[in-house]
Amino acid sequence: MSKHMTRIGAVILTLMVLLAVFAPVLSPHNPYASSTATYQLPSLEHPLGTNDIGQDILSEVIYGARTSLAIGFFSAAISLTIGTVLGLLSGWYGGWLDRLIAKLTAFMLTVPYLPTVIIISAFTKHSIYSTSLVLGIMSWAGTTRIVRTQTMAIREKDYIQTIRAMGASDYYIFSHHVIRELTPWLMYQFAGRVKSGILSESSLSFLGLGSTTQKSWGTMIYYAQEKNALLTGSWLWWIVPPGLCIILVSCALIMISYGFEEKTDRRLSR
Amino acid sequence: MKKRVFHYTIILVVVIIINFFIPRLLPGTPLKSIVGENPGDLTAAEKMGILEAYHLNEPMYKQFGYYLKELFTLNWGNSYAKRQPISELIRSRLGWTLLLAGCSTLLSTIIGTCLGAVSALRRKKRKDVPVVLATTVVSSIPSFWIAIILLAVFGVKLRWFPIYGAYDMWESYTGLARAADILKHLALPLFTLVISSLMAFFSTSRYSTLRVMEEDYVKMARLRGITGSRVTFCYVFRNALIPVFTLFMMDVGYMLGGSVLVETVFSYPGLGTLMKEAVMARDYPLMQYTFLMSSVVTIAALFLSDILYHRIDPRVEVNGNE
Repeated sequence: MSKHMTRIGAVILTLMVLLAVFAPVLSPHNPYASSTATYQLPSLEHPLGTNDIGQDILSEVIYGARTSLAIGFFSAAISLTIGTVLGLLSGWYGGWLDRLIAKLTAFMLTVPYLPTVIIISAFTKHSIYSTSLVLGIMSWAGTTRIVRTQTMAIREKDYIQTIRAMGASDYYIFSHHVIRELTPWLMYQFAGRVKSGILSESSLSFLGLGSTTQKSWGTMIYYAQEKNALLTGSWLWWIVPPGLCIILVSCALIMISYGFEEKTDRRLSR
Repeated sequence: MKKRVFHYTIILVVVIIINFFIPRLLPGTPLKSIVGENPGDLTAAEKMGILEAYHLNEPMYKQFGYYLKELFTLNWGNSYAKRQPISELIRSRLGWTLLLAGCSTLLSTIIGTCLGAVSALRRKKRKDVPVVLATTVVSSIPSFWIAIILLAVFGVKLRWFPIYGAYDMWESYTGLARAADILKHLALPLFTLVISSLMAFFSTSRYSTLRVMEEDYVKMARLRGITGSRVTFCYVFRNALIPVFTLFMMDVGYMLGGSVLVETVFSYPGLGTLMKEAVMARDYPLMQYTFLMSSVVTIAALFLSDILYHRIDPRVEVNGNE
């Protein structure tokens, strides 16, 4: 069952990535070109109408995939890197380093995530990179916990003990064996982090803290809300489509993560 | 117990220190932070006056001293955009957020846990797909988007619920009428927050009930002839609730974060809206204190639930050496 889910998820995600990559070819208009035709109803020319400064909404949605996916992937990569390195160090070496990292992890899990991200974003520039960095730095704690526990279990395995006794260096064991054993866990975490990165980005953008130069689904909803799309009825083609895109990508990533989850479980029971 | 108190005190202290450093370490001059985007419009004397008023021309350790003093005397200064004392602003908003976040945490815990447990008990083999699919979709919807759609349909179109604020500003109700009015305004934001955090409880409770049902002591209890409902309540649920409670603890923090988005959509006059307004106006002092306030509330809530934890699971050692 989860095999089918994973496949469906992978197909949806691939389509979204293609949409983002070929945005200039696929979108009917330039989403950044404003015109005098503002607040148009959906028509053949503009399938989802136009916004308050006359930009084509369908093209905005297509270009929005770029920002959302990029921030999702970058933030997940940053968060996973920090989480894995700290988890490895903590689980492998133990001792004072482990205690220090455990304290840090507990702290990161206690601090309220979204308010902190909002405050930091308010003080930094709103570019794809800075947003990814902020989201990544704030979200590694969960990964660290899992990697730590797994590393401790891997460390005690017989074959690891054997090659250690044969004189293999820690770096060799990390890069050749520990990472390999951790891969299903990391993939599961990665899919989950990309999903939360995309949701967090859309939340930040919705609060007006998104990139000012790049189209993103959250930013679109923010402007639609600011221009009272709710009262005019234009929310049907202005707010619903970007929201559906967020839901679709997020669903796809969750479905993909089910596949990896099953793999981790099987390893666990073995 | 001592250890817990110590742990949360440390976290509180670190948050207070970070709150002092965030505006000072991040790029941008302090003047820009206080006045807004155009400090160039001010004369030199005005600039000095502002630096003087906020003690920004003194060494860092002295600034930190002033900060601590202001913090503990609740003399938090004025909001730059609203020109009102910050402590007063926060006091008037905190209640609404606690009402909203409290009700939604409670409701989503109860509803989510019950639904999850029931679906686990009634599970037929290989009929999981609809449940999993529904969970996936619902947990993918951004809370602010649910809020907007609910507002558009039930507020604007059908006019069943008010679309703005926490109470009717043009009428002064008393007694029951006031309670009804507040409930009416609370309904949509509450519903949004419940939907958006329900799924976590549903899947945790479902998964953990399924796990516990497989445990040997549950099978043993059945073999011993204990009635079905007694096994379900005293053996299965009691143990299945432990992960749910852990989630409940984490959810308190999530609720405060999520309420920023949902309050914004419904213009609900809580801490979240205040934070959003502060961010929009680049009102840095107000931002700092709303952040501090929501951190303190989160830490306090986590601390409380941590203490409650051992009542549910006596195996967790709270009193002494872990």
